[in-house]
Amino acid sequence: MTRAILILAASAAVCSGAALAQTPLETAVKAAYLYKFGGFVEWPATAFPTAESPAAICLVGADPFGALLDQAIRGQRIGGHPVTVTRLDRVDKGSPCQILFVSPSPRQPVAEALERVRGAPILTVTDGGADGASRGVIDFVLRDNRIRFRIDSKTAGEDGLSISSKLLSLAVKP
Amino acid sequence: MTQAAASTSRRRTRSTVVAAIAAFALVLAGLLVAAYNEGAFKAQATREAQVQADILAASVTAALAFDDEGAAQEYLNALRANPEVEAAGLYASSGALLAGYRRSAGQVLPVRQIKPAAANSEGHIIVGAPVIQAGEVLGSVYLRTAAEPLSGRILRYAAIGLLGVMASLVVVVLAVFNAGQRRANRALGEANEALRLQIEQRQKAEEALRQSQKMEAMGQLTGGVAHDFNNLLMVASSGLDLLDRTADPARREVLKGAVRQALDRGAGLTRQLLAFSRRSPLKSTVVDLAAQIEGMRVLLDRSLREDITVRIETAPDLWPVEVDAGQLEVAVLNIAVNARDAMPSGGTITIRVVNRPDQEIEELDGDFVELSVTDTGKGMSAETIQRVFEPFFTTKDVGKGTGLGLSQVYGFTRASGGDARIMSEPGKGSTVALYFPRSTNALAEPVEEAAPTAPLQAPAGYRILLVEDDDAVAAAVGGMLSELGYRHVRVANATAALEALESGEAVDLVFSDMVMPGVIDGVTLAQSIRARWPELPVVLTSGFSEAADTASREGWRLLAKPYRIDALAAELAAARAEASAKR
Repeated sequence: MTRAILILAASAAVCSGAALAQTPLETAVKAAYLYKFGGFVEWPATAFPTAESPAAICLVGADPFGALLDQAIRGQRIGGHPVTVTRLDRVDKGSPCQILFVSPSPRQPVAEALERVRGAPILTVTDGGADGASRGVIDFVLRDNRIRFRIDSKTAGEDGLSISSKLLSLAVKP
Repeated sequence: MTQAAASTSRRRTRSTVVAAIAAFALVLAGLLVAAYNEGAFKAQATREAQVQADILAASVTAALAFDDEGAAQEYLNALRANPEVEAAGLYASSGALLAGYRRSAGQVLPVRQIKPAAANSEGHIIVGAPVIQAGEVLGSVYLRTAAEPLSGRILRYAAIGLLGVMASLVVVVLAVFNAGQRRANRALGEANEALRLQIEQRQKAEEALRQSQKMEAMGQLTGGVAHDFNNLLMVASSGLDLLDRTADPARREVLKGAVRQALDRGAGLTRQLLAFSRRSPLKSTVVDLAAQIEGMRVLLDRSLREDITVRIETAPDLWPVEVDAGQLEVAVLNIAVNARDAMPSGGTITIRVVNRPDQEIEELDGDFVELSVTDTGKGMSAETIQRVFEPFFTTKDVGKGTGLGLSQVYGFTRASGGDARIMSEPGKGSTVALYFPRSTNALAEPVEEAAPTAPLQAPAGYRILLVEDDDAVAAAVGGMLSELGYRHVRVANATAALEALESGEAVDLVFSDMVMPGVIDGVTLAQSIRARWPELPVVLTSGFSEAADTASREGWRLLAKPYRIDALAAELAAARAEASAKR
């Protein structure tokens, strides 16, 4: 499991420009992963009011994806729910999110935003958190030039989330 | 013999053919089973491979979704545990190979995703499975397994074939064994039948031997009996002569008594001789030895020589023994004849019967009754004593004895559970002692026939039809009937008797001899009369013991010849009483 490696090539289109534009490619891969995580996570039934309620991917703080994310989720579904993207300034327990990508922002620091949603059934995702307090349930890391992720299954369990062992097996040790 | 051998070989051929057919059928069945198994096995192997591919596809969804080549490789490498998997590949939805596994370097793996056409190329099973995550096809799995190699399959079917051959071998062995058993059974049955026949023949021979021993013993007496009869006839003849010459009533009475006595003795003697010579089956009954020996007194007294005295001493309260009465008489007679021959110049034969409690006789132990016959003759040497019970051993001259007498004695006592011993010294006489084990059974009570009561004198006008072929006897019997007050009409044979009855001859009773010339004998006549005139009483008479036996077996009234007028009167009175009771 520790040897889990992520391949950069998310799509043929992205692959062609991989060598030249490292950063946009990274961002594109992360955008794709963001909604793919949803297939390997189970939310409590209370997280979705109805079967047709959307699965919302929320962004708080600086938005690194821009249109890439909107393109990536187009037509996708998580557990049968249509996927939406919501950009927020601030979040708390009541925020209507299933997946929350937290970026540093002057209006709400990462650690604070994470603290606000603790206990809510929200899959928090961060990018290269410096310490435990500033890392979400899933935290992107770069290993061997590939994008991989840590998983904090303890916090996930406390938040009422159930993460598939298939996903857990790909995680790198924190 | 040749026929038997030919049929045996035919049987063998037949059983071999049957076994061969059975073996062929078994092998054929085995092949069919193998063919079916082959198909079933392939389908099973394909299903197993498909399941494996499906499991693999389900396991690698995350690895494929997140392009984790290493994790995917790890899943594929886990297939190493299954030696049948030759190669496996994980392909992205674009068709590019993401990760692959090859058991050995020689195995090939498609570089691009191909459609697994469920192709079962020789020796391989190839299956594929899509990798689906949340309804989206992420890629596919390719799996190739090795089917069981041909050599392995052949080996498997060879095992089945071997089983078939072994089964047919068992069939052959069983068939051969069965044939052998049948032959043995048949041989056993034949041997059994032969044995049964031999036993039957032997029983007949033994019976004939017993009878001939009896007749031989009697033959030994013939001279004595004839002599005795001469004496009796002499007494009777001279008595009649003297009766003619004297008128003195007292003297006549004495003469008549002597003649009567002589005739009674003669009658008793012939009766015993006839009873003795009767052919009878061997049958042990509880007998009183004293009574048996006493019953032989007349025979022994009269049939041995005049210069020999017979003394019979029986102890009181003798225990009963279980023997065949006829054989006992033969044995006693045989010993007595031997004793007589041992005393050419006369002497005494003493027959003694005593109880012998707590004896050990040979292997036997317990209470015995001893019957000993002692003579005052010349005795025997020790060598003779040793051989005296052997069959055909005799010291007598040729034509005087067969040497079977004492062997009969020995055989009889052993058969009765006892033993025979002989004690003798030259010049001091001999003693033959027979030991019979005491019987715990009670003596059969002699059946006293309730004598029917009727006046001995005939009722007035009572007519009897007398059937008798001998004129002298008919005259004598006729005289007795008249004396008793009966009227009678005589016919000479049974046919004439039936004719007389049919013609309406009024008679009250038929008194018939049994053995007569003519086609009908007395018993048949009696049966005819009973059938047609059931109320007409019939009394039979005969001097032949066997005929008498037949009559009494069938329940006819019988008067044994010779009889006296008192017996005739009693028998006729009894017949009359029975007839009137029936009416």
